[in-house]
Amino acid sequence: MNEYPPGPRDDGLSRRGFLQGALGAGAVAAITAYEVLAIEADPGNLESGPAFSGPSSALTSGGDQVDVLERMRVELLRALEKPAADRRWVMVIDLRKCVGCHACTIACVAENKLPPGVVYRPVIEEEFGTYPNVGRKFIPRPCMQCEVPPCVPVCPVKATYKNEDGIVVVDYDQCIGCRACLTACPYSARTSDFGTTYGEGLPVVAGVIAGSKVAGRYEKIDTFEYGTARSREPGQSPIGNARKCHFCLHRIKVGELPACVTSCIGRATLFGDANDPTSLVAELIARPNVSRLKEELGTQPRVYYLS
Amino acid sequence: MLTIKRALYVLAIVALVLGAYGFWSRLAFGERDVNYGSYVNWGLWVAMYLFFAGLAAGSFMLATLDYVFGIPLFRGTGRYALWASLVTLPAALLLIGLDLGHLERIWKVYLQPNFSSLLAQLVWSYSALFLTAFASLVLAMRGSRRLLRPVMSFGLVLAVFVSGGVGALLGVNAGRVSLHNAMLPAQFPVLNLASGVAVMLVIVGFFGVVGDSDRRARLLRVLGAAMAVLLLTKSYFLWVDYSQVLYSRVPDAVATAELVLFGQYAWAFWILQIGLGIVVPMAVILWPGRARTPIVMGMAGVLVLVGLAVGRTAIIFPALAIPELDGLAEAFTGPHLNYDYTPSLMEWSVTIGVVGLATLAYLVGSDRLPFLKNSPEVAS
Repeated sequence: MNEYPPGPRDDGLSRRGFLQGALGAGAVAAITAYEVLAIEADPGNLESGPAFSGPSSALTSGGDQVDVLERMRVELLRALEKPAADRRWVMVIDLRKCVGCHACTIACVAENKLPPGVVYRPVIEEEFGTYPNVGRKFIPRPCMQCEVPPCVPVCPVKATYKNEDGIVVVDYDQCIGCRACLTACPYSARTSDFGTTYGEGLPVVAGVIAGSKVAGRYEKIDTFEYGTARSREPGQSPIGNARKCHFCLHRIKVGELPACVTSCIGRATLFGDANDPTSLVAELIARPNVSRLKEELGTQPRVYYLS
Repeated sequence: MLTIKRALYVLAIVALVLGAYGFWSRLAFGERDVNYGSYVNWGLWVAMYLFFAGLAAGSFMLATLDYVFGIPLFRGTGRYALWASLVTLPAALLLIGLDLGHLERIWKVYLQPNFSSLLAQLVWSYSALFLTAFASLVLAMRGSRRLLRPVMSFGLVLAVFVSGGVGALLGVNAGRVSLHNAMLPAQFPVLNLASGVAVMLVIVGFFGVVGDSDRRARLLRVLGAAMAVLLLTKSYFLWVDYSQVLYSRVPDAVATAELVLFGQYAWAFWILQIGLGIVVPMAVILWPGRARTPIVMGMAGVLVLVGLAVGRTAIIFPALAIPELDGLAEAFTGPHLNYDYTPSLMEWSVTIGVVGLATLAYLVGSDRLPFLKNSPEVAS
């Protein structure tokens, strides 16, 4: 049973039986394929994003059998049809559903090709209570994408700013690496790339162990953060830069949910446009059991926790 | 004294040699071998940047006693204070430059600045202070006292501004309970003035620089008295900082104070900052009789400088060593994700090298620049 509502446009469609469900799923697959083809046909400008003109609203007709991921993806496509300034990306993390598998952390590392020592989304584990009444809680901590981000005004060269989507971004080619933003962030959501690699110091035995040279090829695979293909070369950005979670902007722009959302096995991480009153996240952040980290600071995070 | 100067030359060259490894490592491998990271994101170099910038601002303040306020007792000392300011400011900027992930982009702070950033304001202000100090030295060399006074008055305002600005650079971080302290911008100008007085104690105590021994003794007495007052003020600052925090019982703030007073950094606080940096110099300055020789007074100045340098580290590391979110330290591990900071060998090497470089620059300048060398008061 899906705990989250299937969306206001379902109108009981979920009760119309397996056939319609299957048809709905088929429609989802077909339209997804259509959109993938559209993206492939016009991979072009990731900055502006491809035009999503498909009948995305039809996707909501899957009923409560439809994975919540599908609902969010449909809502994402709908949001992308609006001007950037009209949408408000929000992440909701249901702490009751997070099992602490760290899949989101790893998916983020894989998606953004993060080197050792750079992390965008650690999962904090908290143990509480006294035996025999002991519990554990897992708190994923992405960038809070604050409405009032303390990291922005401290940057001496305007390398970090809120983009048109309201996401706090880092211009890697502008950043001088002073780490003032790291000090300013109340959530330690930024890490600095010190140029370390996973393969560093690996032994090499010809024919047996490939060693750091071969392993290093993986580490130089392009990352597509901010929609720009960028290989990680010594002395070049993003080495030496402040790095942070950006809600996978490069994925969002092509109609994909952030990697941490799609990889969450418990569907504990939810994402969408809070300015869309019919979206899942808009519904969830209106619940009384919602909270934000360090709310007292007034930074107004866009990451909400359900507990 | 010649022997002291020679010893300082040797020490400075040794320091430079020790620094060679650090400079090479930094330039060849970037920041790979530093121990500061993403959590304790400012380390020894930033602390020493604060220290050297304080020396530069403080030395400039001391130079105005001669060139702006025209105090007879300080006549002839201004040029040395200016020179000290001119060699310590680049040392500060070199350290903070090496701390940058992309030093080659520093021009962006000049051409594409964000003036809402205190860091940008400071870069501009330090550059202006350097140019002002340089212009002041040139004007002093040419004997243009009429122009010198307004230029140095402007420089004095800048020196106070950059001093307070550095305090504000730390204090504005409202998310860091132990940095977010309105006292910091108020304390730093006083601490920098203390740095300036300590530098002058070293210069006058070790190298004479003023004519007759009577005036030198009087100057040392006055500098000693000023030093005593400033050290008492510093002690008061330390007391209010830590007593208020401990009394407040706000856990994060208390944890920071406990790190400094009783934890990992306690030895540096009690032995170096309080013991060698305050108690011993105070004892020397207040000691009656002939034991208070110029050399001893110069040594007291050195000890005060050590205490002030350690004081800067006590502001930076411990404040960053407390996780902003409980459990973050264990949530994800890796290089440079550590709250337990001790400077690496490479960081020490660079710091020692910069100290050597600044010392050598001062000595070479005072020996080779005609304006400083030909001073009739130079003791040998």
